[in-house]
Amino acid sequence: MNWFKEDDRAVIRALADILIPDAEGMPSASAAGAADELLDRVVQLRADLAPRVLAAVRFARGKDHRAALEELRTHDSETWQGFCLAIAGGYYLFDDVRALLGYTGPERRPVDPEAAPDFTDLLAPVLARGPIWRAPRTTGEAP
Amino acid sequence: MIALVSHKGMNRAEDPDGTIADVLIVGAGPAGGMAAKHLVAAGLSVVCLEQGDWESSDRLPTGRPEGELMARQRWHWSPNQREREADYPIDESESDVGITMYNAVGGSTWLWGAHWHRLTPSDFAVRSLDGVADDWPITYAELEPFYEEAELAMGVSGLSGDPAYPAPHRHPLPPFPIGKAGRKAAEGMNRLGWHWWPGSNGIPSRPHGHLAACVRLGVCSKGCPEGAKAVADKAYWIDATASGARLITGARVREITTDSAGLATGAIWIDRSGEEHHQRARVVILCANGIGTARLLLLSKSARFPDGLANSSGLVGRNFMPHPISVAVGVFDEQLESWIGPGGIAIYSMQFYETDRLRGFVRGAKWSLSTGGGPLSIHPGLGRASLERGWGAAAHQKMRRLGHSLSWAICGETLPDPENRITLHDELSDCDGVPSVKVHFRVGENDRALRDWHIERARESLVAAGAVETLSIPVLPNSGGHMLGTARMGNDPATSVTDRWGRTHDVPNLYIFDGSLFVTSGGVNPTATICALAARGARHLIAARRDQKVAA
Repeated sequence: MNWFKEDDRAVIRALADILIPDAEGMPSASAAGAADELLDRVVQLRADLAPRVLAAVRFARGKDHRAALEELRTHDSETWQGFCLAIAGGYYLFDDVRALLGYTGPERRPVDPEAAPDFTDLLAPVLARGPIWRAPRTTGEAP
Repeated sequence: MIALVSHKGMNRAEDPDGTIADVLIVGAGPAGGMAAKHLVAAGLSVVCLEQGDWESSDRLPTGRPEGELMARQRWHWSPNQREREADYPIDESESDVGITMYNAVGGSTWLWGAHWHRLTPSDFAVRSLDGVADDWPITYAELEPFYEEAELAMGVSGLSGDPAYPAPHRHPLPPFPIGKAGRKAAEGMNRLGWHWWPGSNGIPSRPHGHLAACVRLGVCSKGCPEGAKAVADKAYWIDATASGARLITGARVREITTDSAGLATGAIWIDRSGEEHHQRARVVILCANGIGTARLLLLSKSARFPDGLANSSGLVGRNFMPHPISVAVGVFDEQLESWIGPGGIAIYSMQFYETDRLRGFVRGAKWSLSTGGGPLSIHPGLGRASLERGWGAAAHQKMRRLGHSLSWAICGETLPDPENRITLHDELSDCDGVPSVKVHFRVGENDRALRDWHIERARESLVAAGAVETLSIPVLPNSGGHMLGTARMGNDPATSVTDRWGRTHDVPNLYIFDGSLFVTSGGVNPTATICALAARGARHLIAARRDQKVAA
């Protein structure tokens, strides 16, 4: 299902780039496709977000976009949160964005049962201090 | 009096159709599962009514790139966000923390963080030691063998010998690596001379029973797609049903029924088509968590029990202790890959678990070093930050923290307060029209002082570990997943709802085996104790079944 017309997309791109601009070495939302193909992927996964994106578009059309976003944030949290999640949700699915952040996402890393523990060297002082639990029969002293 | 005897030995003339279960369990979470496993093994006929369904790990999106996005809907921690028919809505308008729970076979263990901790010996004697709250009617030593049993059932992985507990403190499976993040935090703790220990997780590091070995995706609290986390369906219910327990899903209980003598006779439940049924039983055990059990008792009013069932003390629903979680975050220059699991915990600390009155409060907290999650989990704009601080170039800067941060989740003891309570809702109901609940919970003075002090110590430890920046979250939204205290156990019927075995004082064939029983909350995650209490209660019920009073 195609939720968004081209004139909707233009507003979405403008709003999305206020949220996520080209800055700090990171691409803008629109450059990453967060208002286009990634947004389509988001609403395919989360159809509940599409009406809220469209509500944001309707609200912001013809207005100063930054002022419109600020007003949404303060007066219509459901639309605001839905729009933000749709844009950010798509943006951080973009492989280049993940690579720029050094984020690999969930990866399978089975535990090697033969590997030596990676903490033994650090535990010695903890063990040397001995028990720290408090016995009920006393008032404040460790056993 | 008619004794409860094994199904095989029962006088069939009393129940020629076999429609009366020896035991009816309400709720198929870990407590219900543990109880069912014991009861069917003893030859008793068991029926369990569960309002949710069997779930499958395959349905979880968390191992995929879009997992974070999907976790915020179908698998959201809050039943109010999920809006599934298996859930019931919860009015949180008078609560300082949102409620987390999941209704399915396995219960809230579908979304638990798998942090596995026993209470400590002092937790059972808070009144004696610190002059607040009440002592439990049981001791750590009494519960210890049941902790060990639960740890085996749940495939707990960890390092034995933690000096924060009496010896022996053993785990059945070896610990996970603590990783870069765990080592970094441990180095900071060592610089300060503070206790830490490799994480104990209800997650098997090797294949265990029906559970797969963990592959450290780090998504545990949003649902494990590998089937590795100890969800109670795999830990208990697969075997319990194979051994003869009858588990009915999509079954919403609306009332526990009683006879003219005040004994429990079963439960009225509603199926998914809206049709009502009456399941008869000789013994009823509630395992519906600290909110659901209180709700059901309060719903079961009658002329004999005008304030709700088993509520002559007036304490049903009161002393709710949900453990709002606080977080201290440290940001580091180096990449720590802090999204790597198990998540679960890498390391934990009990350094400040016990009371030191010089701190200005009593009791303490356990800290857990947890995974940091993915980009949507830490994005400032998806919290409550302003447009200026949460988005734009500022957000790009903050997102550089991804994998560069360590988070201590602080589980501080919530002291009991009778005004913190669960009540039936006047207007809100579930999809079957059964009245839902309102949560009344305010963070108390001692709890707030404890929280603030611990946050500062946790920040100190992160600075000692090399953090270049620290920040904190006083109350993590929707962190009220520890539903405790609403039907406390005790020796005095005037000040408790059940006896030391979980049997209600007012209705001798009605039992409670879930977190409702907690007299105090401790400062650790409660699933270990919930499972141990259920095992202990079930064993006692079986041992004393010939003296068990049941309805005629």
